[in-house]
Amino acid sequence: MPTYAIETNQLTKRFGDVTAVNSVDLRVGVGEIYGFLGLNGAGKTTTIRALLGMVRPSEGNVKTLGQAVGPHGRGPWARVGHLVERPSAYPELSVRDNLDAARRLHGIQNPNVVDEVIERLILASYADRKAGTLSSGNLQRLGLARALLHNPELLILDEPANGLDPAGVIEIRELLRSLAQEKGVTVFMSSHILTEVDRLATRIGIIHKGRLIEELEAEALEKMRAKRLEIRTRNLEGAQISLQSAGYKPFAEGESIFLEEAHAIEHPDKIAQMLVNAGAPPTHLSVYQQDLEEHFMQLTKEAQ
Amino acid sequence: MNNFSSTLFVEILKMRRSKVPYFTALGFCIAPLAGGLFMIILKDPEAAKTMGLISAKAQLMVGVADWPTYFNFMAQAAAAGGMVLFSIVTIWVFGREFSDHTVKELLALPTPRETIVAAKFVVIALWSFAATLLVFGISLAVGKALSLPGWSADLLRESSIGILGAALLTIPLMSFVALLASSGRGYMSAFGWTILTLVTAQFAAILGWGDWFPWAIPALFSGAAGPRSEQLGMHSYIILTVASLIGFVITFWWWRDADQTR
Repeated sequence: MPTYAIETNQLTKRFGDVTAVNSVDLRVGVGEIYGFLGLNGAGKTTTIRALLGMVRPSEGNVKTLGQAVGPHGRGPWARVGHLVERPSAYPELSVRDNLDAARRLHGIQNPNVVDEVIERLILASYADRKAGTLSSGNLQRLGLARALLHNPELLILDEPANGLDPAGVIEIRELLRSLAQEKGVTVFMSSHILTEVDRLATRIGIIHKGRLIEELEAEALEKMRAKRLEIRTRNLEGAQISLQSAGYKPFAEGESIFLEEAHAIEHPDKIAQMLVNAGAPPTHLSVYQQDLEEHFMQLTKEAQ
Repeated sequence: MNNFSSTLFVEILKMRRSKVPYFTALGFCIAPLAGGLFMIILKDPEAAKTMGLISAKAQLMVGVADWPTYFNFMAQAAAAGGMVLFSIVTIWVFGREFSDHTVKELLALPTPRETIVAAKFVVIALWSFAATLLVFGISLAVGKALSLPGWSADLLRESSIGILGAALLTIPLMSFVALLASSGRGYMSAFGWTILTLVTAQFAAILGWGDWFPWAIPALFSGAAGPRSEQLGMHSYIILTVASLIGFVITFWWWRDADQTR
């Protein structure tokens, strides 16, 4: 069994003078959910196409599930499911026919897999509808159904939550989580919905202008996020004096006071009690945590 | 083989469910019906006079209403119409994967890309030949219904070889149309190529170089411009075969190795 489900070494792809992907070294462990983040044009889709053998690297190489990708588009595709960019389907074929066509091209003998995946992606009521008449959300479900049809060991998904309604987003998130946790499926997903990546990924890679500028474990992200206690009160001055005399270092921004001390963040109830006793009762008290979006924006701004 | 038969099944399914092949077959069927109309006009000169320009043109084009004239008209229609209609089907079979953005679903599969391309060519060949047989059958029925004079077994044999043979020589040339529909990532480049080859084939034939120009060879083979033994030589068949093979090889190479960014 390979150590990595995905491994790229100095992966570089140039289109003429444009370097879309520049010396990217990716290592995605088996069973991981890897969130791949980047702005538009950062190189996410080109990287995904290189992982799937759709574009040939200008330099470097790609391995998926321990097998070299290419030359001639060869790879372990019977064990890989994918969804690249916006989903597509043959518009004159029904949902069932589209999936049956995919089944045949995957060489799967058992026709029941089509009905199983239709049930799994909640497409039963659309099964006999022509794909050309589907909403973008259901087309996305069809794309995901095709990616999951052959029970792959590795899923490479470009924006899997695109076009889905909020309930659909949650449903797909839970589906991917259960595939990873219960069946050991590796998920490599790009997304611009950072909260989705934040909630699902066990590791995150950030690509910017073709370069992988940061990789971090979800736990590390949790630790590095700045946390603050936000306090609002009608007696700002009294509250600040009271907090300073208790040894804290409050700072004011607009109508609020912020504390960054771990003790304050862990015991907001004690802060509230202190402020009440000082004659500055809080009208609002909340722990604020920097999210992935802010971290991402900060990082890409620094890399400009 | 199992891989290939599954892929062929999928390509036939896509063809069956689309309206494009039926519309093109319907378009092809206009040829024997139009030929039949000319024969009706030519059979009745009085009625032809009352029809003004149409009958004048019909007389100018085909002369007398008999089986040799009718078959000659069909041979011309099959040669020029075949090139256009087979091209439309080829452009659709290959180009639609790019226009519908479905090509990316065909690239990372256990079924090799070469198998998919081969299945597409087989479907195009089957459809093109079936459409030609249908048109030939209709033309026989129309000619019979009009009780045209001049029928003979030799004429039927010669005309069958001319019309069906022209189709068989046109089909391999579709390899270039497939290549243009693929590398052009859609319909337009391949349409442009079809028009270019039709026009150049006419020029080549007029200049007397038609036997050396692959795209003029099917029309010369059809017998529409005279006996094929006078028009074509062994070199013509070799050139057509080599040109078609080049088209197939580059198409297969393109699907296997070119960057796919659609």
